[in-house]
Amino acid sequence: MKQWFKSGKPWIWLTAGSVSISLIAVLGLLILIGWRGLSFFWPAQIHEMDIRANDGSISTIIGEIYETETIPIERLRESGVALDDFNEPTLERWLIKVGNREYVPLDFSWVLQPQIVRDETPPDLAVFERTKDGNFYGYVVGVLEDGVSVANQDDIREVLQQRIERTVKLNDQASDLQDGEIGAINYQLNELRLERRALELAGNLTPAEEQRIAAAEEQLRADYQVLEEQLFALREQSSRDQVLVRDMRGETVTLPMYRMLAVHFPNDMGFFAKLGHFFVQIGKFVSEDPREANTEGGVFPAIFGTVFMVLLMSIIVTPFGVIAAIYLHEYAGKNAITRLIRIAVINLAGVPSIVYGVFGLGFFVYMVGGSLDQIFYPEALPSPTFGTPGVMWAAITLAILTLPVVIVSTEEGLSRIPSTLREGSLALGATKAETLWRIIIPMASPAIMTGLILAVARAAGEVAPLMLVGVVKSAPMLPVDGNFPYFHLDRKFMHLGFHIYDVGFQSPNVEAARPLVYATSFLLVTVIIGLNLTAIGVRNHLREKYRSLEH
Amino acid sequence: MISVTPTDNQAERLDLENLSAEQTALEIRNLNLHYGDAQALYDISMAIPKNRVTAFIGPSGCGKSTLLRCINRMNDLVEICKVNGEILLHEKNIYDKDVDAAALRRNVGMVFQRPNPFPKSIYENVVYGMRLQGVNDRRTLDEVVERSLKGAALWEEVKDRLNASAFSLSGGQQQRLVIARAIAIEPEVLLLDEPTSALDPISTLTIEELITELKEKYTVVIVTHNMQQAARVSDQTAFMYMGKLIEYADTNTLFTTPSQKQTEDYITGRYG
Repeated sequence: MKQWFKSGKPWIWLTAGSVSISLIAVLGLLILIGWRGLSFFWPAQIHEMDIRANDGSISTIIGEIYETETIPIERLRESGVALDDFNEPTLERWLIKVGNREYVPLDFSWVLQPQIVRDETPPDLAVFERTKDGNFYGYVVGVLEDGVSVANQDDIREVLQQRIERTVKLNDQASDLQDGEIGAINYQLNELRLERRALELAGNLTPAEEQRIAAAEEQLRADYQVLEEQLFALREQSSRDQVLVRDMRGETVTLPMYRMLAVHFPNDMGFFAKLGHFFVQIGKFVSEDPREANTEGGVFPAIFGTVFMVLLMSIIVTPFGVIAAIYLHEYAGKNAITRLIRIAVINLAGVPSIVYGVFGLGFFVYMVGGSLDQIFYPEALPSPTFGTPGVMWAAITLAILTLPVVIVSTEEGLSRIPSTLREGSLALGATKAETLWRIIIPMASPAIMTGLILAVARAAGEVAPLMLVGVVKSAPMLPVDGNFPYFHLDRKFMHLGFHIYDVGFQSPNVEAARPLVYATSFLLVTVIIGLNLTAIGVRNHLREKYRSLEH
Repeated sequence: MISVTPTDNQAERLDLENLSAEQTALEIRNLNLHYGDAQALYDISMAIPKNRVTAFIGPSGCGKSTLLRCINRMNDLVEICKVNGEILLHEKNIYDKDVDAAALRRNVGMVFQRPNPFPKSIYENVVYGMRLQGVNDRRTLDEVVERSLKGAALWEEVKDRLNASAFSLSGGQQQRLVIARAIAIEPEVLLLDEPTSALDPISTLTIEELITELKEKYTVVIVTHNMQQAARVSDQTAFMYMGKLIEYADTNTLFTTPSQKQTEDYITGRYG
C-alpha cells in the first residue's frame, strides 16, 4: 500500500478522476436538457381514457401524457381520495394535457392510474395547433366552407389539410402586410410627426413646411387605407372555413379555421412521419414568434436578440480592450501605478453582474441616454429615445462587464510574442507604432480571439444586468428591420436567457412551460456553443497563420 | 597560439589609428554605457573602416553585443540603459537629440543571433522595410526581392516559392532571409550579432561566405564568440574584456602577434 502511494499512482487516479467527473457533469447537463427539451417536439401519443371518479361516475378525457409520477398512497388518503380496492403502498399518477382551453377549466389534469378503466390510442384523434387557446384534441367530424359541409368521411383529412394550408398562407400574407408595408407606413407617419415637432421646436414650422408634411401624411394615410382594405380582405378570406370537432365531452364544437396553424394525427403516424414532424416542430420553434405570453410558439426574436446583442458587444469590447491592453503593455511605464491599474482591471471581472446592470441603468440609460435625448431627439420628448433601456445600452453594459477578460488575454498574448521579432522589425527602421500594427497585433490576434471567446461565453449567458438595461418579455419589433436606418439600437429586445426565466417563473401555466424551459435552455447552450465555435475557428485559422517556429 | 591562416580575401592593412574620412564608416568616441548602476562599457574609442568586416570578440559578458547594439541604438529599448559618448556616422553623432532612431536603423541594419523571420511569406519578409518606407509598387518590390535574395545567396533556393511562409525555411535559410531583409533597404552598415551561433556547420559556412561577399557593398560589423570565425571572415578584430576594449588591430596581427597579454591569453584559450 505504501509502495502504491509512493509510486505516484494515486495522484494519477485523483487527477484523472476529477477530469472524469467534470466531463460527466458537462455531458450529463447537456444530455438532460437536450433530452427533456427535444422530446417536447416529438409527437406524443394521444390517449383516450375513461376515468372512474370517487362517486363511481365515469368520464372520458383525451390528451397526451405529459408526466408520470409515483406517489405514496397515504398522501392521497389524507387528502380524501378513496381507493378502497387498492393495496399497494405507492401508485402512479399521470399528468394529462387535455388542451381545449376554452371548454375545460384547466388544460392539464392529474389522473390516478388505478382509476383508469379504459386507455386507448385511436388513430383518428387529431391535434390542432392554434394561434390562441393552445392545442385542441378531438375527432374531426366535418369541414365547413361558409357554413356548408365540403368533406365526407373518406377525404376529410386531405380536405382539412388543404384548408388549413390555405388559411395559414392567407394569415402569413396578412401578417407580412401588417408587419411590412403597414408597419413601414406607421414608421413613416411617426417620423413625419417627429419632423413636424422638430421644426416646431426650432421655430421653423413655416406654412409651406406644414403643408408639405400634411400632404405627405395625407398620402401615407391614403396608402394605409388601401393596405388596410387588403388586410381586411385577407382576413375575410381566411375566416371562410370552419372545422367541426368532437371533443372529449362528446360534444361537437365548431372551431374557426383562421386560428389553426396545423393539424396532425399522432396515433396514426409511423416512425418516419413522426421524425419529420419532430424536425418541422424544431424548425418552427427556432423560426417563429412566441404566442400566448411566450408559452407557445417559437423563440426566434429571442435568438435574434441574443445573437445581435452579443455581436454588438463584441464590436464594442474588442477594440476597446485591445487598445487598453496595448497601452498597458507597450506604453505604460513599468511602475506601481501600472500594476495598480492592472490589478483593478482584473478585479473588475469579479464585480457581480447585477452591479453592472445598475451602473448601466444609472449611467448609460439615464445620464448618457437622457442627455442624448435632450441634444439629438428633443422632438420625441417626453417619450425617450435613448433615455430608456435598449439593445445598445445592453451591449455597452456587457462590453464593460467583459472588458477585463479581453484586456487580460490580450496582454498575455502581447507578452508571449518573442522580443526578437520586435527587435527585428525595429532594426529595419520601423517605429514602435509600425511594429505594433504590422507584427505585434497580428501575432497577438489569436490571444485577442481567446479573450473574445471568453467574453462572448460570459455575455451570452448573462441575464441579470440585461433585465435592467434593455431586455423585455416580448418585443414587438426586432432591432433590425427594413425601415431606414435599418439598425434600431434604441429598441428593446428579447433574450434567450431572460426568456427561460420568464417562461419558467412568470408564466401563467407552469406545467405547460416546463418543456419549453428545457428546450430554450438547450437552444441557449447551442447558440453560445455556436458563437464560440465560430470564434474558435477564426482563432485556429489565425494561430496557423502566425504560428511561430518552435526554436 | 592557435593556428589561424588568414585567407586571401583579407584586404590590405589599414592604419586603424589614423583612418581618413573616406575610409571611415563609423567612429566611436569615449563611449560609456551603464545599466542602472552597473557600468557595462568603459570609454570605448575606435574607428570602423568602410567596406570591411570588423569583428568583436571576447568572452561572454564582455560587452561586445552591447557595443554592437549601441551602433543602431537598439539599447534605447532598454529603459535603464544610459549611454555617454559619441558614435559618429557621417560625422554626425547618432546620439544627438535630433537623430531619429528609426531613420538611423534604416541606415544601420542588424541581424540577430537567432533567425527571426516575421510570420509572413518570404516575399513579404524581404519587402517589409520597403513597405515601411511606403514603397508599394509591385515592380520595384519584385526587383528588390530578387536583388536582396541574390545578395543573401538565397534566391536559387526560394525563387519558386516566394509566397510560402518564411517558417517553412530551414534555420540557415531563415538567417539568410533575415540578411536579405536587412540588405533590402540598402543600409550602409550591417551589424551581425553572432549570426551563426544557432546554426549547423554547413549553414555557418554559407553565411561566412556570404559575409565576405557582403563587404563589397556594405560595412560589416560582426560579433562572434568563435575565434576561428573571426579569423576567417574579418579584416580587423577588436578584443574586448570586462567592458573594455583591450586591443583593436588588423585580424592577422591580432591573432599572430597580439600586443596585449590579455589578448594572447584569450586567443590561446586560457580563459573565455
